[in-house]
Amino acid sequence: MSKFKKSFHIKGRDFIRAGEASINVQNLLKSMDFDPRLIRRVAICGYESEMNVVMHGGDGSLSLEVDTDRLILEISDDGPGIEDIDLAMQAGYSTANDDHREMGFGAGMGLPNMKKNSDQIHIESNRDQGTVVRMIFFLPEGGKTD
Amino acid sequence: MSPKKTSTCYVRFDQDLCTGYGSCLRVCPTKAIRVKNKKAIRIVDQCIGCGECIRICHEGAVSAATEGPELLKRDHVAIALVSPVLYAQFPGVMPKDILLGLRQMGFEHTIDMSYFLEIFQFATEEFINRNRTSQTAPWPLISPVCPVVVRLIAFRFPNLLPNVLPVLRPVALMAREVKSRLIPEYSKKGEKVVLYYINPCPTKKEPSCLSGRKQDGSSEIALGINDIYPELVKHVDQIKAADGIPFYQTRFEYETCATGNASMWAMSGGEIADMDTDKSLAVSGMEETISYLEKIELGLFQDIEYIEFRTCREGCLGGALNAIDKYLAKGAVQKMIKRFGLGRRLHRENIMRMYEKGEFQSEKKPAKLTSLFGAHKEALSIDSMRKIEKVLELIKGKDCTACGAPDCRTFAEDVVRGDAVLKECLFVDAQKKRKR
Repeated sequence: MSKFKKSFHIKGRDFIRAGEASINVQNLLKSMDFDPRLIRRVAICGYESEMNVVMHGGDGSLSLEVDTDRLILEISDDGPGIEDIDLAMQAGYSTANDDHREMGFGAGMGLPNMKKNSDQIHIESNRDQGTVVRMIFFLPEGGKTD
Repeated sequence: MSPKKTSTCYVRFDQDLCTGYGSCLRVCPTKAIRVKNKKAIRIVDQCIGCGECIRICHEGAVSAATEGPELLKRDHVAIALVSPVLYAQFPGVMPKDILLGLRQMGFEHTIDMSYFLEIFQFATEEFINRNRTSQTAPWPLISPVCPVVVRLIAFRFPNLLPNVLPVLRPVALMAREVKSRLIPEYSKKGEKVVLYYINPCPTKKEPSCLSGRKQDGSSEIALGINDIYPELVKHVDQIKAADGIPFYQTRFEYETCATGNASMWAMSGGEIADMDTDKSLAVSGMEETISYLEKIELGLFQDIEYIEFRTCREGCLGGALNAIDKYLAKGAVQKMIKRFGLGRRLHRENIMRMYEKGEFQSEKKPAKLTSLFGAHKEALSIDSMRKIEKVLELIKGKDCTACGAPDCRTFAEDVVRGDAVLKECLFVDAQKKRKR
Protein backbone atom coordinates (compact mmCIF):
# COMPACT_ATOMS: atom_id res chain seq x y z
CA MET A 1 0.00 0.00 0.00
CA SER A 2 2.15 2.81 -1.23
CA LYS A 3 -0.05 4.55 -3.75
CA PHE A 4 -2.11 7.69 -3.59
CA LYS A 5 -5.09 7.95 -5.88
CA LYS A 6 -7.64 10.65 -6.44
CA SER A 7 -10.12 11.23 -9.21
CA PHE A 8 -12.07 14.21 -10.48
CA HIS A 9 -15.30 14.40 -12.41
CA ILE A 10 -15.36 15.93 -15.90
CA LYS A 11 -18.64 17.27 -17.21
CA GLY A 12 -19.17 16.89 -20.94
CA ARG A 13 -19.77 20.00 -23.07
CA ASP A 14 -19.06 22.31 -20.12
CA PHE A 15 -16.51 24.57 -21.78
CA ILE A 16 -16.59 27.13 -18.97
CA ARG A 17 -15.31 24.72 -16.33
CA ALA A 18 -13.12 22.71 -18.66
CA GLY A 19 -9.60 22.47 -17.24
CA GLU A 20 -10.64 22.37 -13.58
CA ALA A 21 -9.77 18.71 -13.11
CA SER A 22 -6.30 19.28 -14.56
CA ILE A 23 -5.77 22.31 -12.33
CA ASN A 24 -6.72 20.16 -9.32
CA VAL A 25 -4.24 17.48 -10.37
CA GLN A 26 -1.61 20.15 -10.86
CA ASN A 27 -2.19 21.55 -7.35
CA LEU A 28 -1.89 18.10 -5.77
CA LEU A 29 1.42 17.53 -7.54
CA LYS A 30 2.67 20.96 -6.48
CA SER A 31 1.97 20.20 -2.80
CA MET A 32 4.10 17.07 -3.23
CA ASP A 33 6.87 19.21 -4.66
CA PHE A 34 7.47 17.36 -7.90
CA ASP A 35 9.79 18.85 -10.51
CA PRO A 36 7.91 21.78 -12.14
CA ARG A 37 8.80 20.46 -15.59
CA LEU A 38 7.21 17.12 -14.81
CA ILE A 39 4.12 18.85 -13.42
CA ARG A 40 3.86 20.86 -16.61
CA ARG A 41 3.97 17.74 -18.77
CA VAL A 42 1.28 16.07 -16.65
CA ALA A 43 -0.84 19.23 -16.71
CA ILE A 44 -0.66 19.55 -20.50
CA CYS A 45 -1.65 15.89 -20.91
CA GLY A 46 -4.44 16.34 -18.39
CA TYR A 47 -5.80 19.41 -20.13
CA GLU A 48 -5.64 17.92 -23.64
CA SER A 49 -7.47 14.80 -22.52
CA GLU A 50 -9.97 16.80 -20.48
CA MET A 51 -10.78 18.87 -23.56
CA ASN A 52 -11.31 15.69 -25.58
CA VAL A 53 -13.87 14.53 -23.04
CA VAL A 54 -15.57 17.94 -22.93
CA MET A 55 -15.74 18.15 -26.75
CA HIS A 56 -16.56 14.58 -27.71
CA GLY A 57 -16.91 12.34 -24.74
CA GLY A 58 -19.95 13.15 -22.65
CA ASP A 59 -19.22 12.75 -18.94
CA GLY A 60 -16.00 11.30 -17.65
CA SER A 61 -13.33 11.38 -15.01
CA LEU A 62 -9.68 12.24 -14.63
CA SER A 63 -7.69 10.33 -12.06
CA LEU A 64 -4.19 10.72 -10.74
CA GLU A 65 -2.22 7.92 -9.19
CA VAL A 66 1.07 8.62 -7.44
CA ASP A 67 3.38 5.68 -6.89
CA THR A 68 6.94 5.60 -5.64
CA ASP A 69 8.36 5.31 -9.15
CA ARG A 70 5.68 6.72 -11.46
CA LEU A 71 2.64 8.94 -11.95
CA ILE A 72 -0.36 7.60 -13.80
CA LEU A 73 -3.02 9.80 -15.34
CA GLU A 74 -6.17 8.02 -16.45
CA ILE A 75 -9.04 9.61 -18.31
CA SER A 76 -12.20 7.70 -19.00
CA ASP A 77 -15.48 8.74 -20.56
CA ASP A 78 -18.74 7.24 -21.78
CA GLY A 79 -18.63 9.01 -25.14
CA PRO A 80 -18.74 7.80 -28.74
CA GLY A 81 -15.30 6.18 -28.65
CA ILE A 82 -12.46 6.50 -31.16
CA GLU A 83 -13.04 4.61 -34.37
CA ASP A 84 -9.47 4.47 -35.66
CA ILE A 85 -6.90 5.03 -32.92
CA ASP A 86 -3.89 5.07 -35.29
CA LEU A 87 -5.52 7.77 -37.37
CA ALA A 88 -6.42 9.80 -34.27
CA MET A 89 -2.78 9.73 -33.18
CA GLN A 90 -1.71 11.50 -36.37
CA ALA A 91 -0.94 15.19 -35.98
CA GLY A 92 -3.58 17.32 -37.63
CA TYR A 93 -6.30 14.70 -37.75
CA SER A 94 -9.41 15.99 -36.02
CA THR A 95 -13.07 15.12 -35.64
CA ALA A 96 -13.92 18.47 -34.09
CA ASN A 97 -16.97 20.26 -35.47
CA ASP A 98 -17.27 23.90 -36.55
CA ASP A 99 -18.41 25.05 -33.11
CA HIS A 100 -15.28 23.60 -31.55
CA ARG A 101 -13.07 25.27 -34.16
CA GLU A 102 -14.75 28.59 -33.59
CA MET A 103 -13.69 28.34 -29.94
CA GLY A 104 -10.11 27.73 -31.03
CA PHE A 105 -10.03 23.97 -30.58
CA GLY A 106 -9.84 21.14 -33.06
CA ALA A 107 -6.30 21.53 -34.44
CA GLY A 108 -5.85 17.78 -34.29
CA MET A 109 -2.95 18.05 -31.85
CA GLY A 110 -4.60 16.61 -28.73
CA LEU A 111 -3.52 12.98 -28.78
CA PRO A 112 -0.13 13.68 -30.46
CA ASN A 113 0.56 16.23 -27.72
CA MET A 114 -0.35 13.71 -25.03
CA LYS A 115 1.93 11.15 -26.63
CA LYS A 116 4.77 13.65 -26.80
CA ASN A 117 4.46 14.71 -23.15
CA SER A 118 3.99 11.30 -21.51
CA ASP A 119 6.42 8.39 -21.25
CA GLN A 120 3.80 5.80 -22.17
CA ILE A 121 0.28 6.09 -23.49
CA HIS A 122 -2.35 3.37 -23.73
CA ILE A 123 -5.70 3.93 -25.36
CA GLU A 124 -8.63 1.58 -25.12
CA SER A 125 -11.63 2.52 -27.15
CA ASN A 126 -14.41 1.03 -29.17
CA ARG A 127 -17.20 2.65 -31.08
CA ASP A 128 -20.02 3.70 -28.72
CA GLN A 129 -18.27 2.15 -25.75
CA GLY A 130 -16.34 5.11 -24.42
CA THR A 131 -12.61 5.68 -24.17
CA VAL A 132 -9.96 5.09 -21.54
CA VAL A 133 -6.62 6.84 -21.95
CA ARG A 134 -3.84 5.88 -19.55
CA MET A 135 -0.63 7.89 -19.48
CA ILE A 136 2.44 6.99 -17.47
CA PHE A 137 5.18 9.35 -16.34
CA PHE A 138 8.23 7.70 -14.82
CA LEU A 139 9.88 9.46 -11.91
CA PRO A 140 13.62 10.02 -12.05
CA GLU A 141 15.94 7.75 -10.06
CA GLY A 142 15.05 7.89 -6.36
CA GLY A 143 11.37 8.50 -7.09
CA LYS A 144 8.97 9.63 -4.37
CA THR A 145 9.21 8.42 -0.80
CA ASP A 146 6.14 6.78 0.63
CA MET B 1 4.35 25.50 10.20
CA SER B 2 6.84 28.33 10.14
CA PRO B 3 6.98 31.09 12.75
CA LYS B 4 3.73 32.35 14.23
CA LYS B 5 4.04 36.01 13.50
CA THR B 6 1.37 38.65 13.49
CA SER B 7 3.00 40.99 11.02
CA THR B 8 4.81 40.55 7.77
CA CYS B 9 7.07 42.98 5.99
CA TYR B 10 4.03 44.24 4.04
CA VAL B 11 1.13 44.25 6.52
CA ARG B 12 0.60 44.83 10.21
CA PHE B 13 -2.05 43.07 12.28
CA ASP B 14 -3.58 44.68 15.35
CA GLN B 15 -4.60 41.83 17.66
CA ASP B 16 -6.76 44.13 19.80
CA LEU B 17 -8.94 45.22 16.90
CA CYS B 18 -9.31 41.72 15.45
CA THR B 19 -12.64 40.10 16.25
CA GLY B 20 -11.76 36.78 14.66
CA TYR B 21 -14.47 37.22 12.02
CA GLY B 22 -12.11 35.67 9.55
CA SER B 23 -13.08 37.34 6.29
CA CYS B 24 -9.38 37.73 5.61
CA LEU B 25 -8.94 33.95 5.60
CA ARG B 26 -10.70 33.35 2.33
CA VAL B 27 -9.21 36.19 0.34
CA CYS B 28 -5.56 35.41 1.04
CA PRO B 29 -4.15 34.00 -2.22
CA THR B 30 -1.34 32.14 -0.47
CA LYS B 31 -3.52 30.85 2.39
CA ALA B 32 -1.20 32.47 4.90
CA ILE B 33 -3.74 33.40 7.59
CA ARG B 34 -5.22 31.31 10.42
CA VAL B 35 -7.58 32.50 13.14
CA LYS B 36 -7.01 30.92 16.52
CA ASN B 37 -8.89 31.50 19.80
CA LYS B 38 -11.19 34.00 18.10
CA LYS B 39 -8.54 36.66 18.44
CA ALA B 40 -5.06 35.73 17.60
CA ILE B 41 -4.24 35.81 13.98
CA ARG B 42 -1.12 34.09 12.97
CA ILE B 43 0.57 34.42 9.69
CA VAL B 44 2.82 31.92 8.18
CA ASP B 45 5.74 33.16 6.18
CA GLN B 46 3.87 33.31 2.92
CA CYS B 47 2.73 36.91 2.64
CA ILE B 48 3.21 38.33 -0.86
CA GLY B 49 1.89 41.77 0.08
CA CYS B 50 -1.21 41.87 -2.12
CA GLY B 51 -3.28 43.84 0.40
CA GLU B 52 -6.45 41.77 -0.02
CA CYS B 53 -6.72 41.38 3.78
CA ILE B 54 -6.41 45.14 4.29
CA ARG B 55 -9.25 45.71 1.85
CA ILE B 56 -11.62 43.15 3.38
CA CYS B 57 -11.09 43.71 7.12
CA HIS B 58 -14.14 45.56 8.51
CA GLU B 59 -12.47 46.19 11.85
CA GLY B 60 -9.42 47.92 10.46
CA ALA B 61 -7.22 45.35 12.19
CA VAL B 62 -4.99 45.01 9.16
CA SER B 63 -2.94 47.89 7.87
CA ALA B 64 -0.07 48.42 5.51
CA ALA B 65 3.44 48.36 6.90
CA THR B 66 4.05 51.88 5.63
CA GLU B 67 5.25 54.88 7.60
CA GLY B 68 3.28 58.01 8.33
CA PRO B 69 4.14 61.39 6.74
CA GLU B 70 5.09 62.79 10.15
CA LEU B 71 8.54 61.49 9.30
CA LEU B 72 8.87 64.29 6.82
CA LYS B 73 11.05 66.44 9.02
CA ARG B 74 13.53 69.02 7.96
CA ASP B 75 16.67 67.22 9.04
CA HIS B 76 17.12 65.46 5.74
CA VAL B 77 16.72 65.82 1.99
CA ALA B 78 13.39 64.23 1.10
CA ILE B 79 12.98 62.75 -2.36
CA ALA B 80 9.51 61.58 -3.40
CA LEU B 81 9.33 58.71 -5.87
CA VAL B 82 5.86 59.10 -7.23
CA SER B 83 3.69 56.36 -8.66
CA PRO B 84 1.46 57.80 -11.43
CA VAL B 85 -1.50 56.36 -9.54
CA LEU B 86 -1.25 59.50 -7.41
CA TYR B 87 -2.27 61.61 -10.45
CA ALA B 88 -5.49 59.61 -10.79
CA GLN B 89 -6.52 60.72 -7.30
CA PHE B 90 -7.00 64.31 -8.47
CA PRO B 91 -9.57 64.39 -11.28
CA GLY B 92 -8.87 67.15 -13.80
CA VAL B 93 -5.56 68.24 -12.24
CA MET B 94 -2.37 68.18 -14.29
CA PRO B 95 0.35 65.83 -12.95
CA LYS B 96 2.89 68.67 -12.82
CA ASP B 97 0.65 70.58 -10.41
CA ILE B 98 0.36 67.54 -8.15
CA LEU B 99 4.15 67.21 -8.10
CA LEU B 100 4.38 70.89 -7.28
CA GLY B 101 2.06 70.28 -4.35
CA LEU B 102 4.42 67.60 -3.10
CA ARG B 103 7.35 70.01 -3.29
CA GLN B 104 5.36 72.54 -1.29
CA MET B 105 4.79 69.82 1.30
CA GLY B 106 8.53 69.65 1.82
CA PHE B 107 9.89 67.21 -0.70
CA GLU B 108 13.11 68.54 -2.18
CA HIS B 109 12.76 66.48 -5.35
CA THR B 110 9.83 64.71 -6.94
CA ILE B 111 10.54 61.85 -9.31
CA ASP B 112 7.84 61.02 -11.83
CA MET B 113 7.72 57.26 -12.25
CA SER B 114 5.72 57.43 -15.48
CA TYR B 115 8.93 58.61 -17.19
CA PHE B 116 10.54 55.29 -16.28
CA LEU B 117 7.42 53.36 -17.19
CA GLU B 118 7.81 54.80 -20.67
CA ILE B 119 11.44 53.71 -20.85
CA PHE B 120 10.33 50.29 -19.68
CA GLN B 121 7.68 50.22 -22.40
CA PHE B 122 10.23 50.87 -25.15
CA ALA B 123 12.49 48.16 -23.76
CA THR B 124 9.56 45.75 -23.53
CA GLU B 125 8.58 46.35 -27.15
CA GLU B 126 12.14 45.74 -28.24
CA PHE B 127 12.39 42.52 -26.26
CA ILE B 128 9.11 41.23 -27.72
CA ASN B 129 10.25 42.16 -31.20
CA ARG B 130 13.53 40.27 -30.83
CA ASN B 131 11.88 37.34 -29.08
CA ARG B 132 9.80 36.72 -32.21
CA THR B 133 12.92 35.44 -33.91
CA SER B 134 15.22 34.47 -31.04
CA GLN B 135 12.56 32.69 -28.95
CA THR B 136 14.63 33.20 -25.81
CA ALA B 137 11.56 33.34 -23.58
CA PRO B 138 8.29 31.40 -23.87
CA TRP B 139 5.01 33.07 -24.91
CA PRO B 140 3.03 34.60 -23.40
CA LEU B 141 5.45 36.98 -21.70
CA ILE B 142 4.16 38.21 -18.37
CA SER B 143 4.53 41.82 -17.25
CA PRO B 144 6.86 42.20 -14.24
CA VAL B 145 5.39 45.61 -13.30
CA CYS B 146 3.08 44.38 -10.53
CA PRO B 147 5.41 42.91 -7.88
CA VAL B 148 2.58 40.92 -6.32
CA VAL B 149 2.13 39.06 -9.60
CA VAL B 150 5.81 38.18 -9.70
CA ARG B 151 5.72 36.92 -6.11
CA LEU B 152 2.48 35.03 -6.73
CA ILE B 153 4.13 33.30 -9.68
CA ALA B 154 7.21 32.41 -7.61
CA PHE B 155 4.97 31.06 -4.87
CA ARG B 156 2.22 29.23 -6.73
CA PHE B 157 3.30 29.02 -10.38
CA PRO B 158 7.09 28.52 -10.43
CA ASN B 159 6.67 26.89 -13.84
CA LEU B 160 5.87 30.31 -15.24
CA LEU B 161 8.93 32.18 -13.98
CA PRO B 162 10.60 31.88 -17.40
CA ASN B 163 7.57 33.71 -18.85
CA VAL B 164 8.19 36.78 -16.68
CA LEU B 165 9.62 39.48 -18.95
CA PRO B 166 13.35 39.78 -18.13
CA VAL B 167 13.39 43.57 -18.36
CA LEU B 168 14.18 45.66 -15.27
CA ARG B 169 11.03 46.87 -13.54
CA PRO B 170 10.23 50.60 -13.85
CA VAL B 171 10.67 51.09 -10.11
CA ALA B 172 14.17 49.59 -10.36
CA LEU B 173 15.04 51.87 -13.30
CA MET B 174 13.84 54.84 -11.27
CA ALA B 175 15.77 53.86 -8.15
CA ARG B 176 18.94 53.30 -10.20
CA GLU B 177 18.71 56.74 -11.74
CA VAL B 178 18.11 58.48 -8.42
CA LYS B 179 20.89 56.56 -6.72
CA SER B 180 23.42 57.26 -9.41
CA ARG B 181 22.57 60.93 -10.10
CA LEU B 182 20.87 62.59 -7.17
CA ILE B 183 22.07 60.90 -4.02
CA PRO B 184 25.85 61.21 -4.68
CA GLU B 185 25.54 65.00 -4.87
CA TYR B 186 24.12 65.14 -1.36
CA SER B 187 26.26 62.44 0.17
CA LYS B 188 29.34 64.34 -1.02
CA LYS B 189 28.13 67.24 1.09
CA GLY B 190 27.44 64.88 3.98
CA GLU B 191 23.68 65.44 3.84
CA LYS B 192 21.24 62.69 4.72
CA VAL B 193 18.86 61.62 1.95
CA VAL B 194 15.58 59.79 2.44
CA LEU B 195 13.68 58.26 -0.48
CA TYR B 196 9.91 58.21 -0.01
CA TYR B 197 8.11 55.72 -2.26
CA ILE B 198 4.54 56.96 -2.64
CA ASN B 199 2.53 53.87 -3.42
CA PRO B 200 -1.04 52.73 -4.06
CA CYS B 201 -0.45 49.35 -2.43
CA PRO B 202 1.45 47.88 0.52
CA THR B 203 4.17 46.66 -1.72
CA LYS B 204 6.11 48.22 -4.50
CA LYS B 205 9.42 47.17 -3.07
CA GLU B 206 11.28 44.07 -2.10
CA PRO B 207 11.46 43.30 1.62
CA SER B 208 15.24 43.65 1.62
CA CYS B 209 15.08 47.35 0.76
CA LEU B 210 12.24 48.32 3.08
CA SER B 211 14.48 49.29 5.92
CA GLY B 212 18.02 50.11 6.88
CA ARG B 213 20.53 52.72 5.94
CA LYS B 214 22.27 52.28 2.64
CA GLN B 215 26.00 52.60 2.11
CA ASP B 216 25.61 56.02 0.53
CA GLY B 217 23.90 57.33 3.67
CA SER B 218 20.41 57.27 2.21
CA SER B 219 17.42 55.37 3.54
CA GLU B 220 14.08 54.36 2.08
CA ILE B 221 10.56 54.69 3.38
CA ALA B 222 7.27 53.50 1.89
CA LEU B 223 4.27 55.81 2.12
CA GLY B 224 0.72 55.00 1.16
CA ILE B 225 -1.07 57.46 -1.13
CA ASN B 226 -3.71 57.73 1.60
CA ASP B 227 -0.98 58.76 4.07
CA ILE B 228 -0.14 61.94 2.23
CA TYR B 229 -3.46 62.70 0.52
CA PRO B 230 -5.12 64.82 3.27
CA GLU B 231 -2.12 67.17 3.38
CA LEU B 232 -1.45 67.13 -0.35
CA VAL B 233 -5.03 67.93 -1.31
CA LYS B 234 -4.75 71.30 0.51
CA HIS B 235 -1.68 72.28 -1.50
CA VAL B 236 -3.20 71.11 -4.77
CA ASP B 237 -6.35 73.14 -4.10
CA GLN B 238 -4.20 76.22 -3.48
CA ILE B 239 -2.28 75.66 -6.69
CA LYS B 240 -5.50 75.24 -8.64
CA ALA B 241 -6.90 78.49 -7.18
CA ALA B 242 -3.72 80.51 -7.79
CA ASP B 243 -3.65 82.86 -10.75
CA GLY B 244 -0.10 82.27 -11.81
CA ILE B 245 1.64 79.07 -10.96
CA PRO B 246 5.05 79.69 -9.43
CA PHE B 247 7.83 78.56 -11.69
CA TYR B 248 9.93 75.78 -10.32
CA GLN B 249 13.32 75.04 -11.71
CA THR B 250 13.87 71.31 -12.11
CA ARG B 251 17.15 69.89 -13.31
CA PHE B 252 16.06 66.59 -14.67
CA GLU B 253 13.24 65.87 -17.06
CA TYR B 254 11.75 63.27 -14.71
CA GLU B 255 11.46 65.69 -11.81
CA THR B 256 8.25 66.96 -13.24
CA CYS B 257 5.66 65.45 -15.54
CA ALA B 258 5.08 67.20 -18.82
CA THR B 259 2.29 64.97 -20.07
CA GLY B 260 -1.32 64.97 -19.04
CA ASN B 261 -1.93 61.32 -19.85
CA ALA B 262 0.61 59.89 -17.35
CA SER B 263 -2.18 58.65 -15.11
CA MET B 264 -3.10 56.02 -17.69
CA TRP B 265 -0.52 53.72 -16.11
CA ALA B 266 -2.81 53.49 -13.09
CA MET B 267 -5.56 51.81 -15.06
CA SER B 268 -5.80 48.18 -16.09
CA GLY B 269 -4.75 48.12 -19.75
CA GLY B 270 -2.70 51.29 -19.42
CA GLU B 271 0.55 49.44 -19.89
CA ILE B 272 -0.44 47.84 -23.19
CA ALA B 273 -2.66 50.62 -24.56
CA ASP B 274 0.10 52.19 -26.64
CA MET B 275 2.29 49.13 -27.18
CA ASP B 276 3.11 48.04 -30.71
CA THR B 277 1.81 44.50 -30.36
CA ASP B 278 -1.75 43.45 -31.06
CA LYS B 279 -1.30 40.13 -29.36
CA SER B 280 -1.56 41.50 -25.86
CA LEU B 281 -4.05 41.29 -23.01
CA ALA B 282 -4.68 43.12 -19.76
CA VAL B 283 -6.06 41.12 -16.84
CA SER B 284 -6.90 42.58 -13.45
CA GLY B 285 -8.18 41.26 -10.12
CA MET B 286 -6.70 38.56 -7.92
CA GLU B 287 -9.15 35.81 -8.88
CA GLU B 288 -8.86 36.53 -12.58
CA THR B 289 -5.08 36.69 -12.38
CA ILE B 290 -4.90 33.30 -10.67
CA SER B 291 -7.36 31.79 -13.12
CA TYR B 292 -5.31 33.02 -16.10
CA LEU B 293 -2.02 31.85 -14.59
CA GLU B 294 -3.55 28.41 -14.06
CA LYS B 295 -4.57 28.29 -17.70
CA ILE B 296 -1.18 29.44 -18.94
CA GLU B 297 0.33 26.57 -16.94
CA LEU B 298 -1.96 24.19 -18.80
CA GLY B 299 -0.41 25.42 -22.05
CA LEU B 300 -3.08 27.93 -23.10
CA PHE B 301 -2.57 31.47 -24.48
CA GLN B 302 0.63 30.64 -26.33
CA ASP B 303 -0.69 32.73 -29.23
CA ILE B 304 -0.54 35.84 -26.98
CA GLU B 305 2.75 37.74 -26.76
CA TYR B 306 2.31 39.84 -23.65
CA ILE B 307 -0.05 39.87 -20.70
CA GLU B 308 -0.35 42.75 -18.28
CA PHE B 309 -1.48 41.36 -14.93
CA ARG B 310 -2.58 43.46 -11.95
CA THR B 311 -3.85 41.67 -8.89
CA CYS B 312 -5.93 44.70 -7.91
CA ARG B 313 -9.23 45.02 -9.72
CA GLU B 314 -9.15 47.71 -12.44
CA GLY B 315 -5.37 47.97 -12.03
CA CYS B 316 -3.23 49.98 -9.63
CA LEU B 317 -5.97 52.54 -9.08
CA GLY B 318 -7.75 49.72 -7.24
CA GLY B 319 -4.84 49.45 -4.79
CA ALA B 320 -5.63 49.17 -1.10
CA LEU B 321 -3.87 52.43 -0.17
CA ASN B 322 -5.57 54.80 -2.58
CA ALA B 323 -7.45 57.87 -1.45
CA ILE B 324 -10.43 57.93 -3.82
CA ASP B 325 -12.74 55.22 -5.16
CA LYS B 326 -11.31 53.20 -8.05
CA TYR B 327 -14.15 53.96 -10.45
CA LEU B 328 -13.90 57.69 -9.83
CA ALA B 329 -10.16 57.41 -10.45
CA LYS B 330 -10.76 55.38 -13.61
CA GLY B 331 -13.15 58.04 -14.87
CA ALA B 332 -10.52 60.70 -14.23
CA VAL B 333 -7.91 58.72 -16.17
CA GLN B 334 -10.22 58.14 -19.12
CA LYS B 335 -10.94 61.86 -19.36
CA MET B 336 -7.21 62.66 -19.37
CA ILE B 337 -6.59 60.11 -22.15
CA LYS B 338 -9.42 61.64 -24.16
CA ARG B 339 -7.90 65.08 -23.73
CA PHE B 340 -4.25 64.27 -24.31
CA GLY B 341 -4.24 61.05 -26.30
CA LEU B 342 -1.76 58.24 -25.77
CA GLY B 343 1.42 59.95 -27.00
CA ARG B 344 4.86 59.43 -25.51
CA ARG B 345 7.42 62.04 -24.57
CA LEU B 346 10.63 60.04 -25.02
CA HIS B 347 12.44 59.07 -28.21
CA ARG B 348 12.91 55.46 -29.16
CA GLU B 349 16.44 55.97 -30.53
CA ASN B 350 17.84 57.11 -27.19
CA ILE B 351 16.31 54.19 -25.34
CA MET B 352 17.53 51.74 -27.98
CA ARG B 353 21.13 52.87 -27.45
CA MET B 354 20.76 52.00 -23.77
CA TYR B 355 19.09 48.72 -24.70
CA GLU B 356 22.04 47.71 -26.86
CA LYS B 357 24.32 48.23 -23.89
CA GLY B 358 22.20 45.79 -21.89
CA GLU B 359 21.06 48.41 -19.41
CA PHE B 360 17.56 47.02 -19.03
CA GLN B 361 18.33 43.39 -18.56
CA SER B 362 16.89 42.02 -15.35
CA GLU B 363 19.38 39.98 -13.42
CA LYS B 364 16.79 38.34 -11.29
CA LYS B 365 16.97 34.70 -12.20
CA PRO B 366 14.03 32.36 -11.60
CA ALA B 367 16.02 30.47 -8.95
CA LYS B 368 16.58 33.69 -6.99
CA LEU B 369 12.88 34.54 -7.08
CA THR B 370 11.97 31.04 -5.95
CA SER B 371 14.33 31.26 -3.01
CA LEU B 372 12.92 34.69 -2.06
CA PHE B 373 9.22 34.04 -2.48
CA GLY B 374 8.75 30.36 -3.22
CA ALA B 375 6.76 28.02 -1.01
CA HIS B 376 9.04 26.84 1.75
CA LYS B 377 6.76 24.16 3.13
CA GLU B 378 8.01 20.64 3.36
CA ALA B 379 6.84 18.46 0.46
CA LEU B 380 4.00 16.09 1.26
CA SER B 381 4.75 12.37 0.98
CA ILE B 382 2.45 9.81 -0.62
CA ASP B 383 1.48 8.70 2.87
CA SER B 384 0.62 12.27 3.94
CA MET B 385 -1.49 12.69 0.81
CA ARG B 386 -3.49 9.60 1.77
CA LYS B 387 -3.92 10.89 5.33
CA ILE B 388 -5.17 14.24 4.06
CA GLU B 389 -7.81 12.47 1.97
CA LYS B 390 -8.91 10.54 5.06
CA VAL B 391 -9.25 13.73 7.09
CA LEU B 392 -11.22 15.29 4.24
CA GLU B 393 -13.63 12.33 4.27
CA LEU B 394 -14.17 12.81 8.00
CA ILE B 395 -14.84 16.52 7.88
CA LYS B 396 -17.18 16.36 4.88
CA GLY B 397 -15.84 19.56 3.39
CA LYS B 398 -18.13 22.58 3.75
CA ASP B 399 -15.28 25.12 3.70
CA CYS B 400 -16.96 26.93 6.62
CA THR B 401 -13.67 28.36 8.02
CA ALA B 402 -14.93 27.92 11.61
CA CYS B 403 -11.75 26.00 12.44
CA GLY B 404 -9.72 29.07 11.55
CA ALA B 405 -8.27 27.71 8.32
CA PRO B 406 -9.25 29.16 4.92
CA ASP B 407 -10.72 25.91 3.58
CA CYS B 408 -11.09 22.22 4.43
CA ARG B 409 -8.20 21.11 2.26
CA THR B 410 -5.82 23.53 4.02
CA PHE B 411 -7.15 22.44 7.42
CA ALA B 412 -6.60 18.78 6.55
CA GLU B 413 -3.08 19.62 5.45
CA ASP B 414 -2.48 21.51 8.73
CA VAL B 415 -3.72 18.48 10.70
CA VAL B 416 -1.42 16.09 8.86
CA ARG B 417 1.51 18.47 9.24
CA GLY B 418 0.76 18.67 12.99
CA ASP B 419 -0.21 22.35 12.99
CA ALA B 420 -3.89 21.80 13.87
CA VAL B 421 -5.93 19.14 15.67
CA LEU B 422 -8.90 17.34 14.15
CA LYS B 423 -11.37 18.34 16.86
CA GLU B 424 -11.00 21.98 15.88
CA CYS B 425 -13.39 21.08 13.07
CA LEU B 426 -16.95 21.73 14.23
CA PHE B 427 -18.37 18.87 12.17
CA VAL B 428 -15.96 16.32 13.62
CA ASP B 429 -16.57 17.64 17.13
CA ALA B 430 -20.36 17.52 16.75
CA GLN B 431 -20.23 13.97 15.39
CA LYS B 432 -18.16 12.86 18.35
CA LYS B 433 -20.59 14.43 20.82
CA ARG B 434 -23.56 12.79 19.12
CA LYS B 435 -21.89 9.39 19.34
CA ARG B 436 -21.35 9.83 23.06
